[in-house]
Amino acid sequence: MKYTNIGKKGIYTFFTGLICALLAMPVMAQEDELKDLPGYVDFGDLSSSYGEPKISINIGGTLLQFVSLMSGESDPEAAELLSNLKGVRVFGYDTQDDVEVASQKFAEVRGTLRSLGWEPVVQVNDDDEQVLIYMKLNGTVMDGMTVMTVDDEEVMFINIIGKLDPRQLGKVMDNFDIDIDGALDLD
Amino acid sequence: MNRTDEKTEQQINALLDGELSPVDAEELKATATDDRDLARAIIEAYQLQQAMDTIHVERAPASLRKRLRAIPREHKTALWSKSLQPHWAMALVAVPLVIIAIGLMRPVTPSASEIAQARQDLAIAFAYLDKAGQFTGREIELTVGETMVDAVAGHMIRNIKLKQHHSKEKKA
Repeated sequence: MKYTNIGKKGIYTFFTGLICALLAMPVMAQEDELKDLPGYVDFGDLSSSYGEPKISINIGGTLLQFVSLMSGESDPEAAELLSNLKGVRVFGYDTQDDVEVASQKFAEVRGTLRSLGWEPVVQVNDDDEQVLIYMKLNGTVMDGMTVMTVDDEEVMFINIIGKLDPRQLGKVMDNFDIDIDGALDLD
Repeated sequence: MNRTDEKTEQQINALLDGELSPVDAEELKATATDDRDLARAIIEAYQLQQAMDTIHVERAPASLRKRLRAIPREHKTALWSKSLQPHWAMALVAVPLVIIAIGLMRPVTPSASEIAQARQDLAIAFAYLDKAGQFTGREIELTVGETMVDAVAGHMIRNIKLKQHHSKEKKA
């Protein structure tokens, strides 16, 4: 067996690729973990049009369970809500008064959601703002929820994977004093 | 210089090297004055030393020196590559990488700071969700409200018109 054709360059390339793959493993593992779930939605990437996202949140099931456990005593309602979730993803971009690309993406995602059996819950097409809320149900059990909003300032994609009770969310929100346009204060 | 024995030769060398004591040097010089062979031997030795001093040792070209210096390294590399074939080298490096991979893949307990960060992220995510919910709630309220107003007002207007029509018919 001859190895002379491998060469030093081949070995360096092999190990560089291997190291990159190893470093990306935790991120890929978390994303892959969510991708397989029925409530997952691929929003694509709008960074080529709007630059880097102003907000990017990707929380997997493991971390959610830990947060749920940690909140058990201090906030049982939040703990219960989180225990039913498998993933929370939020991506937001500054639209800078250019909503054309975002609207195209809305239409694209809407088509995908319909083809995957998601049901529209609320669709608001206001002059200043569009809001789409879709839900994925498996019988009476909720697999996921998707919320997309766009206005002159920002476009937001929210994907909740798992079961979310809106009544619980309302109660949990009372415990979070949050100003998403400014400071964030957690009790 | 047949008569010059080993001792005399050593003395000549010592004289030329400046190692002979002044007394012995004077004595040797005095002997050489009378002994032509000795004198010739001293002169020849002196000339030989001068000739040796003028010999210039030429330095090798830089490229040649570089190549000569590289020989031991090449030899070492050749030995290394002979003893460590690419497949062994790959296997050797792959072992720690596999260990690192296993470590990365292993479910790791998140740190307190990671959990705190996740809690903050969740709060932001829910805040955006709440914001969208409030907006849609307002829109639904507004739409339903207008529809209700239309329904009530329309019904009342129709009733009034109907009553007006009946009263006109009665008068007629």
